[in-house]
Amino acid sequence: MWRLASDIGGTFTDLVYFNESTGDLGIAKSLTTPRELTQGVIDTIGLSQIDPGEVGFFVHGGTTVINVITERKGAKTALITTAGFRDVLEIARGNRPDLYNLRFEKEPPIVRRRYRFEVRERVDARGRELERLHLEDLDPIIAQCRSENIEAIAIQFLHSYAAPEHEAACAAVLRERLPQVAVTASHEITREWREYERANTAVLNAYVQPIVQQYFGRLQSALADIGIRCPFSAMQSNGGTASFEWAKEHPITLIESGPAAGVNGGVLVGRLCHEPNVIYLDIGGTTAKCSTIEEGQPKVTTEYKLEHDRNRFGYPVRVPVVDIVEIGAGGGSIAWFDAAGLLRVGPVSAGADPGPACYALGGEEPTVTDAKLITGVLNPDYFAAGRLRLDLERAGKAMRKVADRLAISVLEAAVAVIRLVDASMIEALKLVSIQRGHDPRDFALVVGGGGGPMHAGALGRELGVKSIIVPLYPGLFSAWGMLVTEPRRDFTQTSLCRAESIGISDIRDLFSRLREEAQVALRADRRPADNQLAFEYRIDLRYLGQEHSVTVPVNIERATVEGILRDFHDAHERVYTFRLPETPVEFVTFRLTAIEQVPRPRLGRISAQGRSAQAARKGRRIVEFAEEGSHEAVVLERELLPPDFTASGPLIIEEPSSTTLVHPGQQLRVDDLGFLHITEV
Amino acid sequence: MEMEDTSAMPETAPETATRRRVGQRPVDTVTLEIIRGKLLALADEMGIVLARTAMSPVIYEVLDFACGFCDPEGQLVAQTNGITVFTGTFALHVDVLRRKYAGQIRPGDIYMSNNPYEGGTHLNDVAIIKPIFVNDEILGFAISIAHWTDVGGKMAGSLPADATEIYQEGIRFIGVRLYKEGERQDDMFETIAANVRLPKMSLGDLNAELASVRIADRRMQELCAKYGSTTVREAFRHIIETSEKLSRAAVAALPDGVYEATDWIDGDGISNERFPVKVQVRIEGDEMTFDFSESCPQLMGPVNCSAGGLCSAVKTVFKALVDPRAPSNEGYFKPMKVVAPAGTVFTAVPPAPVGWYYEGTGQASELAWKALAPLVPGRFSAGSANSLCVTVLAGHDPAAGETFVLVEPNMVGWGATDMRDGASVVSAITNGDTFNYSLELLEAKFPLRVVGYGLNVEGGVGAGRNRGGFGVVREYEMLAPNTLLSASFGRSIERPWGLDGGGPGSCNYFEVLSNGKRWRGARKPITTLQPGDRVKEVTGGGGGCGDPLTRPAPQVFEDVRDGYITARQARAQYGVVIRPGGTLNEAATRKLRRGLMERARVAAGL
Repeated sequence: MWRLASDIGGTFTDLVYFNESTGDLGIAKSLTTPRELTQGVIDTIGLSQIDPGEVGFFVHGGTTVINVITERKGAKTALITTAGFRDVLEIARGNRPDLYNLRFEKEPPIVRRRYRFEVRERVDARGRELERLHLEDLDPIIAQCRSENIEAIAIQFLHSYAAPEHEAACAAVLRERLPQVAVTASHEITREWREYERANTAVLNAYVQPIVQQYFGRLQSALADIGIRCPFSAMQSNGGTASFEWAKEHPITLIESGPAAGVNGGVLVGRLCHEPNVIYLDIGGTTAKCSTIEEGQPKVTTEYKLEHDRNRFGYPVRVPVVDIVEIGAGGGSIAWFDAAGLLRVGPVSAGADPGPACYALGGEEPTVTDAKLITGVLNPDYFAAGRLRLDLERAGKAMRKVADRLAISVLEAAVAVIRLVDASMIEALKLVSIQRGHDPRDFALVVGGGGGPMHAGALGRELGVKSIIVPLYPGLFSAWGMLVTEPRRDFTQTSLCRAESIGISDIRDLFSRLREEAQVALRADRRPADNQLAFEYRIDLRYLGQEHSVTVPVNIERATVEGILRDFHDAHERVYTFRLPETPVEFVTFRLTAIEQVPRPRLGRISAQGRSAQAARKGRRIVEFAEEGSHEAVVLERELLPPDFTASGPLIIEEPSSTTLVHPGQQLRVDDLGFLHITEV
Repeated sequence: MEMEDTSAMPETAPETATRRRVGQRPVDTVTLEIIRGKLLALADEMGIVLARTAMSPVIYEVLDFACGFCDPEGQLVAQTNGITVFTGTFALHVDVLRRKYAGQIRPGDIYMSNNPYEGGTHLNDVAIIKPIFVNDEILGFAISIAHWTDVGGKMAGSLPADATEIYQEGIRFIGVRLYKEGERQDDMFETIAANVRLPKMSLGDLNAELASVRIADRRMQELCAKYGSTTVREAFRHIIETSEKLSRAAVAALPDGVYEATDWIDGDGISNERFPVKVQVRIEGDEMTFDFSESCPQLMGPVNCSAGGLCSAVKTVFKALVDPRAPSNEGYFKPMKVVAPAGTVFTAVPPAPVGWYYEGTGQASELAWKALAPLVPGRFSAGSANSLCVTVLAGHDPAAGETFVLVEPNMVGWGATDMRDGASVVSAITNGDTFNYSLELLEAKFPLRVVGYGLNVEGGVGAGRNRGGFGVVREYEMLAPNTLLSASFGRSIERPWGLDGGGPGSCNYFEVLSNGKRWRGARKPITTLQPGDRVKEVTGGGGGCGDPLTRPAPQVFEDVRDGYITARQARAQYGVVIRPGGTLNEAATRKLRRGLMERARVAAGL
């Protein structure tokens, strides 16, 4: 039986396939087909030459949802709000993150004012009805939606997180009377308070829904046409999968599906290597993304913002998203000088076209990849499996712009570029580790993306991680990660309660209600037997008076209120330097994660046959290391390295999709799965 | 930057304290840039810790705070994205401590200050300052400033709009020690608890500020362990020097000359008079002087700001001029000088009330902005409805059995630029990355009901080729008996100015419906409200930019379709004709616009 994971990226559509019985793993790559994205998926399945009838699992991810929003190509969307509040979407939060820009430009709302309608109804913060829902107000709205050819409608009433009845009733009427229109009620997507954030989330869900529905519909029939009959799963942003049917109703939960898959891959690598704590880093052409996995669990938050940076607030999306920090630094990042004459690297990237100067495809700006070539890390004749010959001369010519301006050599300029890009990656890595209260010494750094293994040695050393792991196929890590995902749903219940007035039985009751809800929802998808469902329990707590809380995991069988409080005080001090033992503690939100445990693929061990240290050895190359200076490194072919191989840095390990750099003073070990482990001597 | 008090030192300004150091750099610039990035991350982390552990909604929801790090001389090195008018005061706070405790600052000390006349803004803004020592030497100072919900005084919230002296506004701490060589000064904490109405909340916020400066210390120690304190100090110098260079180049690129702007402060809380304010901006080479000497004397009501507030207010606009995007630091302000005698509305002296100081600083910022906008249109917009429009609602919440204080800044409409329409509903210039209250959170925390929250379409905006942004209407109904209202809205008479032929925006005001009577105000003495009474807060729209008759007719038509303007306004302000059926009449529009332009030419005597 085959498991298939399909990932659509900007340039390539990747397929990773895995045979559950033999442990065979293979990859297929095909150009992404923007006009009809499903074609690229079908192409890769054709390339894999596996028998469609033998496919037992298919999971799909990619950038479809985020691209629709980024390119503003969503459906014609309307919003219905509580009377008096239709402008909340446009008012947003009123903040000006670009402090000193007196020409501040605010993000325009996704729904224009003319398509924002109001209905009389009102409940208060405790969910009590203050004004009945005037369904008759919908008549003129429906008429207008018809005449304006509205394709999607979001509904957002005040305090619907506490009392969703009015929204639900309104949605039912719209679905009945406008059957062609996609309808999203905010409480169906999120049950958290803050009206603007919830409205924006509902609006974005509605905005992408018609497109995602059609897309998944076409993919379903294309897959059926070639004879794949298994249930189809979509990769969600929370690191789990959901059925296509569920995803069609909640498409906004797919917003970071690709990166979430990568983090999930990090979880699996950690598990295979017995490293429950992982810092995951993916370096692509334009960006680097990182995330932490603690005790085998990726961190999931609902604080995600789309198009957000230091100067822009962006659009909040309150769905569970794996906590990823993304920065504009990758292989294609361009080195440049700012107005003060200071050297900067990124966020502008040469991308794949024209690409770095050394691609000789017309790029003339110095990039990180050029710097890696100049310093001897990259092999000009073995890039992308030798399909693209890198031009050292062009790289040098581009880098000379940096060198001349700083009055240093081209080699020194290349080192400066690498140091700068490494520094910004270190900041991102620290943000997800140290700044969130983790000690990197307890973590393994798992790297993916074409560029990850090249930078990992320096980054891991500076961060002080216990080891660095380079898994198989680092260049296809997202698709690989999807292979091992499990159906997952998150359920939350906000229920404010002081610690002194809650007993452990109240906590158990609350969680068992959430558990029932989860069982019903997941059964509707796939009918798992109850013993296949695993539950995780977490509680958000805070000191009375605080708004933000700290999440504490709970072992529901053995938990006591005192134990939970002890964990909370400890966690608060770890993250925020202090505890307030005298201050009352408040229970805020109860979080249940339901995971349907499906059989995990077991990777095959690499065999020693045909592999040996001698066979792998390709030669020697001088490498200019940013911190350690110039060293001659042994060059090895990864696919010929035998299990249990060990060697001391400096080393270069080449493979078709990536290059791994082991620094002087570091030790390499190859495990029996073919993963590379790098540790400090 | 210097602040020159012309009353104290009339003619000869002292030699600029810091001259640029030219010489060998022992450390390469790449390392220095890496450290710069780490310092920014440190400042951001201070802010995150403060927001996530604070207990006042005005801190965790509105983000009324700022954090940063200064070098041993008190020069700002890195700051959070916070409130602009706070970050400009960091240097002054440190300066006060250095003078007061010369030779006595020790590792483990933590100081607290909220003195408006010496570096502070108003009493609610409490600065916590921790000197950071590495190898027994001061490396710099970590600072957090946050708005405490209450610091005593005559009314809960400590912001009586009719205060006439600072004693009515709360308790003043003049650089006191909370920790002395690591030892907690319990008597100070007791004094605080005994003088504020919400001790648990205020001490909670104090804890959050302490956590944020401690995090800074921890990170700074790590940084020095890795790079050595000499290199870190070198990075401070590098940051300040490179910014100063940029800043001087930006000023030098402007034509030398004298530029002026005048404006009015609309009422002070005691009187409804208009008070004249004026700035003269002098550009000479790579230096710029902002002279406020001809502004009115300090006022009886609390809209005055102190000299520190004034400096900070001017810094905001100066930074917007020289380099709006880059993170701020003291280097940018070296070419800038502020001149004003003590005792003006912008340089208030004790015991003048300053509770609503942001009305003063907002005016000062906007004066500088107004003087420079015609000179550098690419950096500025037309006038905005520039007032924080703060409302304080305070009382006793019968359901919770506790005192409540809602301190809420409102967002306003901003002016248009030569490139696009003004932004609707964003924080005034004094603030920055501050948020409005979520309505749902507000109704859950305070005995209030929100009746409506929408764009102030009725009040309108300045017309123009690009129009101003809209203000907002926010209306509350009281649920608790005897709720006190204190509010002070500026820009209630003088409309936001238009630019380059654009029309003026609209004014700020509030409306109270109490006991069946409706009245309108802008700065009012404290009013007591009862359940069912309503308060409607209305903020104005920004000024327009460019002649409205040149705004493309389809754009005007779209504004009508979206309900931003009426068909009548389209005709009267823009000369755009819309048929009764709701379609654009292009022929009639062309004809009408020709006639209006002709009439304008005649009126102008051309």
